Amino acid sequence: MIEKLEQIKKEAREASNNSSSLEELELVRERFFSRKSGEFTVLAKGMKDLSDNERKKIGQKMNEVKSEIEAFFDHKKNEFEMKVWEAIAVTEAIDVTQPKLPTPGHGHQHPMTIVHTELEELFTSMGFTVLDGPELESEYYNFDALNIPGTHPARDSQDTFFIKNHPEWVMRTHTSPVQVRAMQKYGAPLRAVVSGRCFRNESTDASHEHTFYQMEGIVIDRHISIAHLIGVMKELLRGVLRKDVEVRLRPGYFPFVEPGFELDMKCLVCGGAGCGACKHSGWIETLPCGLVHPKVIEAGGLDPVEWTGFAFGLGSMRLCMQKYGIEDIRHLHGGNLSFLEQF
Amino acid sequence: MNISYKWLKQYVDLPDSLTPEELAHALTMSTVEVEGIHHQANAFEHMVVGVIVRIKKHENADALKVCDVDIGSEVVQIVCGGSNVREGMKVVVAKIGARVQWHGEGELVELKPVKIRGVESVGMICGADEIGLLDMFPKSEEKEILDVSKLKVKAGTPLATALGFDDVVIEVDNKSINHRPDLWGHYGIAREVAARYRKKFPSYTVPEIKEGSDSKLRVSIENAGDSMKYTAVMMDGIVIGPSPENIQQRLRAVGIRPVNNIVDITNYVMCDLGQPMHAFDTSKVKSQKSKVDIQVRRAKAGEKLTTLDQKERILDESMIVIADAEKVIALAGVMGGQDTEITNATTSIIFEAAHFNPISIRKTSTTLGLRSDSSARFEKSLDPHNCMYALKRAVELVYEICPTARVVSSVAEKGKVSVFKGPITISKSFIDTKMGMVVSTKECVRILESLGFGVKVVGKKDDEVLKIEVPTWRGTKDITIAEDIVEEIARMYGYDNIETKLPVFAITPPQRNELRFIERSVRTTLSRERGFTETLNYSFVSPQSLQLLELDPISHLELDNPIASDRPYLRRSLLPNMLELVERNSHTHDEVGVYEIGKVFIPEDPGPRESESGDNLLPRQDTMLGIAYAKKGDETPFFVVADALRSVGARLGIELYIDPAVTGLSYVHAGRYAKVMAHADHVGEVFELHPKTAQEYGMAGRVAYAEINLRALSELFRTVNTTYRPLSMYPPVERDIAFMVDSSILHRDVHEILTAIDPLIVSAVLFDVFEGKNIPKGKKSMAYRLTYQSNERTLETKEIDEVQKKIEKFLHERFHAEIRE
Repeated sequence: MIEKLEQIKKEAREASNNSSSLEELELVRERFFSRKSGEFTVLAKGMKDLSDNERKKIGQKMNEVKSEIEAFFDHKKNEFEMKVWEAIAVTEAIDVTQPKLPTPGHGHQHPMTIVHTELEELFTSMGFTVLDGPELESEYYNFDALNIPGTHPARDSQDTFFIKNHPEWVMRTHTSPVQVRAMQKYGAPLRAVVSGRCFRNESTDASHEHTFYQMEGIVIDRHISIAHLIGVMKELLRGVLRKDVEVRLRPGYFPFVEPGFELDMKCLVCGGAGCGACKHSGWIETLPCGLVHPKVIEAGGLDPVEWTGFAFGLGSMRLCMQKYGIEDIRHLHGGNLSFLEQF
Repeated sequence: MNISYKWLKQYVDLPDSLTPEELAHALTMSTVEVEGIHHQANAFEHMVVGVIVRIKKHENADALKVCDVDIGSEVVQIVCGGSNVREGMKVVVAKIGARVQWHGEGELVELKPVKIRGVESVGMICGADEIGLLDMFPKSEEKEILDVSKLKVKAGTPLATALGFDDVVIEVDNKSINHRPDLWGHYGIAREVAARYRKKFPSYTVPEIKEGSDSKLRVSIENAGDSMKYTAVMMDGIVIGPSPENIQQRLRAVGIRPVNNIVDITNYVMCDLGQPMHAFDTSKVKSQKSKVDIQVRRAKAGEKLTTLDQKERILDESMIVIADAEKVIALAGVMGGQDTEITNATTSIIFEAAHFNPISIRKTSTTLGLRSDSSARFEKSLDPHNCMYALKRAVELVYEICPTARVVSSVAEKGKVSVFKGPITISKSFIDTKMGMVVSTKECVRILESLGFGVKVVGKKDDEVLKIEVPTWRGTKDITIAEDIVEEIARMYGYDNIETKLPVFAITPPQRNELRFIERSVRTTLSRERGFTETLNYSFVSPQSLQLLELDPISHLELDNPIASDRPYLRRSLLPNMLELVERNSHTHDEVGVYEIGKVFIPEDPGPRESESGDNLLPRQDTMLGIAYAKKGDETPFFVVADALRSVGARLGIELYIDPAVTGLSYVHAGRYAKVMAHADHVGEVFELHPKTAQEYGMAGRVAYAEINLRALSELFRTVNTTYRPLSMYPPVERDIAFMVDSSILHRDVHEILTAIDPLIVSAVLFDVFEGKNIPKGKKSMAYRLTYQSNERTLETKEIDEVQKKIEKFLHERFHAEIRE
């Protein structure tokens, strides 16, 4: 019997080693262990004919052999399974560069929104409140309160959209009316920025739009000076451009500031040597600004002796075009998805 | 405006070491914006005067000649086709490297040595048109070359030197001197330059006019407000001819074409002093017994005048004119009349130097679309004191140029001058505070005096006060308050010399702009989560759009002066322009999902105040959100837009309800329309466009649209309070329920019941709606997934079964629902 067991063990080892697939290995297992006719099973059934003493001895051996044979099988099975796991690198390979289908659409924000949001966040971090104002304004806020008298050329209809049957209303030509509205509403001290849509009655071409966007800021406090204005503008540009910039201030005229300035920034493309981007001057006209005119402070309901301030403007539309290299201003209101989907 | 560097140097002794570029930069930094610098000589580089030594025939061409030309350093051979070329003639030789215009046309071309029909030619003998001098030297024949034999210069002299083209022209941006009436002539700019470089500046000296008495010249001003000053004088014995070369050169330098001596004098004085002048031919002006009456009056309605540009102008009563006893002879300050123009036959002239109301001049020139160098200056509020200086200078120049001329009338002078002279009183500490630094009193005084201000310093040291008199040329409108004085000091001191500082502010957080917060949340939701693209449309809509939507133009505000008549109306809704956008893109994109955040204008509703004190209000201008969606093959885009709205609300913590409603709007699909509610507030609409309207727009598929009021949402948003619900420790149980109901039964009503019927149900989610196969017509199958959960115990099957039974019963009673197994 023992010999028989050894024989079975040998054969089982050979058979399992010779099997070439999981299926074949299963057949080998059947051959030895099938319930009815398995060679090992049949031998095990012969146990009942043995004496107690022998049964004990043989039984022990039988269990040993059984575990050994099962170990062969498991080993072989494991071998086959390992091969399968190794094979999935090929059998289950996918094109990892392929997008998910159908591709879900992505949404986009308008480039003007992106620029305004960035600027507003910067100003908020500097303690400025973000304000809005009406796009259809009264002549009073758009002009008179800003020290632009009735005879000023800016009030000609070639520059300003007027409203039929409402001669006292205009489409705002700048965001500056909010300066006065803000002073009236919030008083002083005040730090605020306004961004929004403005209108000028001019024909549209690649660089002109009758509908455009501005961002402007106002600071009202005690003892504000030209030195403060330059200091804050430098910080502002550093925040916008995330680097130190060299600036220069020169005279500029705007009725609602006195004195008024044009602030130029040293050209970032050529570093001041002169190039196409700065029209060979080395400087880029960046921010019109100035100390708030006492008449404007007065219109805001504040005492111009006690309160002073500065204001500045940013052509956010031009900034947006520079940022993205947009060559034609008409794209911004063109509503062409092929354009908008690039942002 | 163009400024001649040589002209400036007449008034200011500038060091030779100073370059025009440095001066231009200094002007930009302290006074005006310089747009460009042009060296006159640059255009004539590599061009010299040459003398033709010998002319030979060209072997291969009859029309060409081979010339030996002395160009100073050498004699060169040049092939030339000029008809008038002869030996001994002085000509313009463009040497190799010069840039010329072939036959006066096209781009400039750089000369290279060439062979013309086999004969070598080193350079070119130029015609006037080939070097841009046709204005100066008109041609009498096509093939004529420029004969400069009259020039008393040696062969080899650079052409620019020979012709006096050695000036440098500084181009000033006119916009930067709009507020500075004193800077519209060389004298005014020179004053700034002298102040900047601390140079002496001469007063404007002119000899008195020796008056005559042969003729009488009388001036009257009808409205005192139209002219603060009118001066005139008559001169006889005029011989018209070209003006001297030095005057012509200066005029050319600043871009004015010389005409004749008298016209050139008026232009010269204008460019010198900034004071426009005019000259009339006395013989064409109505006179009676040597008496001339000049009137400054308003035009009569319909009165006509043919101006110098040969156009007939129809005038109205707002326009100031110069008239004689019977007719208009000039449009005051804008342009003279053709009838009284100076011609070669003119022998007697009347010079005018006047001041006119700047606002009226601007209005007239705008109305007539006629702008001139003169009107551009008058509309800036010129100093009326300059009139007499100008008149005297003009007479002086006539005497210099035209020895036979003499003044035959007295000097007529009318008008009442009123110009702000100050004093402006300003404390030294005010100047220091505004500048943010201390500039010595001495330096302040020096700067102000160099600009023509009168300054008196009073008070103790450390408490000084400056009493400042404003010069007449700055008092017409420019300088009025103390801040203006600070600007004068600061700009001349140099903005670059001011040390920058940062203001000190209290550390307080800025107030949050709730509307902006909501706008950003909406954009994030729609663009980043829902795949919509943001657009910006115009605020103006077209009549065609309104018509397509059957909207009433009367309910819209209208522009008085639209750019073009195509979009005159102010939008009440974002819809019309959005639909145009969807239509345009629908031809190139299968799916169009877009939104806009923008203001609309509602005339009948009250908006912000027109002014702080008055009661008048502007129209309401709320910020709206418009969402549009169309996709090829999508028959119910409504759901996409309605769902996007729900997300927008959910992100803000405001539940947006879609509330079925009835509409009479013709452009709306009546079966697919709902109000959008937030709590009890009606905040907007969502609908599909009527297929008929979509077709009229040129769109094949269906379009859904929603518009909600973000201002209204921002008010609700203030009350939003998002709270946390503790998690249950017991497992949830999910059960599905499916049933068949009439198609008219609303999900909202079913859902309301499912979530309210038993406290164990924590959510009910619709996961399938089906119509068609196996479902009778007019019916639909709905399936919900119910989630049961308790915070107190693990639920037992039995109790859930009971609730399910209760639900089935209720659905059946309420909606006649047939439960499907």
